[in-house]
Amino acid sequence: MSDDYNGYHISFFRPTTPRARANRTIVIWLASIWAVSIFGFQILLLVLEKPTPEPAYLTFQSVWGDVEDNSADKVELQEFGKSALSVLGKIAISDKEKATLENALSWSIYQLTPDSLRSVLVARVQGFENIKAEIVNIANPDYITARNALSKELSPVLVLVSNDVRRNILPLALRSSSMKVLTDDTKASLPAIMEKYLIHNQSVLTDTRFLGFPFHYFYTGVFLLILFVGLCWVYCVLVDRLDERLKTVE
Amino acid sequence: MKKIYFPILLVILPVISQAATAATQLDTGFKLGPAIILISMLVLFVMVGFLFRARDTADFYVAGNNISRVGSGMAIASNWMSAASFLGMAALMYGTGYHGLAYVVGWTGGYVLLLILMAGQIRKYGKYTAADFIGDRYYSQALRTVGAIIAILISISYCVGQFGGIGLMFSWILGVEYNVAVLIGGSVVLAYTLISGMLGVTKNMQIQYVIIIVSFLIPLFILTYKFDYFWILPQIGYGSLVSDIVAGIPLNETHQLVNSLGQDFAVVPSPEYAMPWDSASEQTFFQWIAIAFSLMIGTAGLPHVIQRFYVVPKSHDARWSVVWGLFFICILYWSAPAYAAFGKILSASPEVGKLAKDAIVVYTAQLGNLNPLIVGLLAAGGVSAAFSTVSGLLVAGASAFSHDIYVKVINPQATPSRQLLFARLATILMAIIVGVIALLKLALIGQLVAVAFSLAGCTIFPLFLLGIWWSGSNKQGAIAGLITGGLVSVIALTYFIAEKYGIALPAHDFISYWLGAWYFAWLGAPLALVVNIVVSNMTPETPIEIRKFLIERVHT
Repeated sequence: MSDDYNGYHISFFRPTTPRARANRTIVIWLASIWAVSIFGFQILLLVLEKPTPEPAYLTFQSVWGDVEDNSADKVELQEFGKSALSVLGKIAISDKEKATLENALSWSIYQLTPDSLRSVLVARVQGFENIKAEIVNIANPDYITARNALSKELSPVLVLVSNDVRRNILPLALRSSSMKVLTDDTKASLPAIMEKYLIHNQSVLTDTRFLGFPFHYFYTGVFLLILFVGLCWVYCVLVDRLDERLKTVE
Repeated sequence: MKKIYFPILLVILPVISQAATAATQLDTGFKLGPAIILISMLVLFVMVGFLFRARDTADFYVAGNNISRVGSGMAIASNWMSAASFLGMAALMYGTGYHGLAYVVGWTGGYVLLLILMAGQIRKYGKYTAADFIGDRYYSQALRTVGAIIAILISISYCVGQFGGIGLMFSWILGVEYNVAVLIGGSVVLAYTLISGMLGVTKNMQIQYVIIIVSFLIPLFILTYKFDYFWILPQIGYGSLVSDIVAGIPLNETHQLVNSLGQDFAVVPSPEYAMPWDSASEQTFFQWIAIAFSLMIGTAGLPHVIQRFYVVPKSHDARWSVVWGLFFICILYWSAPAYAAFGKILSASPEVGKLAKDAIVVYTAQLGNLNPLIVGLLAAGGVSAAFSTVSGLLVAGASAFSHDIYVKVINPQATPSRQLLFARLATILMAIIVGVIALLKLALIGQLVAVAFSLAGCTIFPLFLLGIWWSGSNKQGAIAGLITGGLVSVIALTYFIAEKYGIALPAHDFISYWLGAWYFAWLGAPLALVVNIVVSNMTPETPIEIRKFLIERVHT
């Protein structure tokens, strides 16, 4: 007995019982499939990915130089405001980043407004801010009327088409206190914020659609879980067969 | 009996509906409907527990070793589906997009490791608790005690996230502050555990699983139907929703699809939601891999998970119970990302304001304008998920104290009534500790639970892996490996806590990034394994009776 079992020593790499040997082979196969499927795919994603900017980032890049120099024309200011609005519509932004983007948007709207109407614009935005501060429920009719009116009035300034979701965000993102000046802080931090939110790691694996999903999302969020259940099922079947073959009795 | 129930229902149902529909804001006010649903669920669990209560100590610990593999699979799933799964996972995906899938993969992929490396062998080894195995395999009372202490620490760490979830849901149902809700919810869960702890735990878990999964799926079917996605299989149907988030959803000029606050079902293009390790999520490729890996090995090292394999008659059943358990778990894990995706769009308007991420599952149902009773069912399901896990963990922790420390080390002659007294005292003490930590709101539920996984991955996992698969691993190696894994854990957690309190420690950024609190096991576990192997090779070999047992009982 002692000789058969190598002095009762056992290790995964030197199994000393027939069952342990057969089990090891199964484990190695399944663990390899498991590891390659999970980590191999993520590494493939990393290898194939390319930083891909959203159209809003390309627009921002093309106008930022002139905006920074204060020499942007009307169209450039409109594109600048729209690109800031594109990021303001995203949920993940922090309060500090939000303040920077709101300054950029508010300033661009202010610049696009004729001199004679600028004080009216500030008063309108301030009026809406006051209503917003007073209400306890956003279903308040006065609030909804004021919000919709401001959106309708200012969307044409940025040339936002009727089904552009940014129309809804516009009145909520304007700040009367930060309209007149594009602050140095905003100038310094805005490019990094735009880069952070508007450039994404994309590849053929993320751009291909499968059952409606981006392929990589389906693979990781759905397929891998199916694979895990499948691997467990295969393992149990194989070990049951092994036990049958070796006539293992518990 | 029907004659009695019918008039009661006639009185109660309109009250529930009226009270529930009265709530117009997301957070405010006491919600009678959800409260009644929750209380009914808890009463049902206690009643089922009484019906299938344990007859003796063995029955209590391992349900008499006679649970079927499907039943055991449901119990595994119920034990597993905590507030972290029910509430936390959607929160992580809502906040960090694709990065959150690392948790989905980590918390399911670990079961493959657990099955192929351990499940059958653990059953064959035949011990009641993880500390029992460690003490026996490494022939050391000291290691048994340390193993029990680690099991208690892991239980506490795991419970903190659950108390956070209970606090959030009680806060939502009762309309009170989070801190007050934690105190109320914590007291209720403690009372529930003390009442149900000695009852039919495994049978109860099967029923809990059914209720939890039904309460999670029903709102999802309704949401996908309502917002015109493939509702027959929402776990696939939400794929188009993810693609819509990436491409953006323009305004519908007829404004037919709106959330409960009247805002359009529309969103600006948001590729950051689905793209891997996006800079907007502030998470990297390394962190994705480290989290998935740490959670997987942590799964294979969690004492209360390992303990489930003793409740089946044979190792064959232990293996199949993992297959069923994982399948039942996956039903929830395939579904949770859908809540995150719906939540992303329904809360896209700045008017919604900042929502507590950990409650996004319930907020999503609320913003989706589902019937308040359905939302209440969902919230009650979340609380039940947390309750079932907390109850199991407190019992496991109390067992570790009374069985592995008090009886096996301190007082082997203790009477059963004295054991029970100590188990109850340990339960109360653990609940107080967990409640206090939960009040600190250190992180998201999923992240807090991940800490327990890394802790298990650094400490218990190496002991089990080498203990089963290498007879050369001896007491000295185990102690050295445990010290190494423990040291990595202490460093990671010290930096995490220091950061929370604004204390700057040396090399803070470096350590916080490479040894994050929710993924430090990526380094700790391999280090503990290597140290265990090296020290074992340098010290006297494992006694012959242990090696013989491993060959003849575990691997033959």
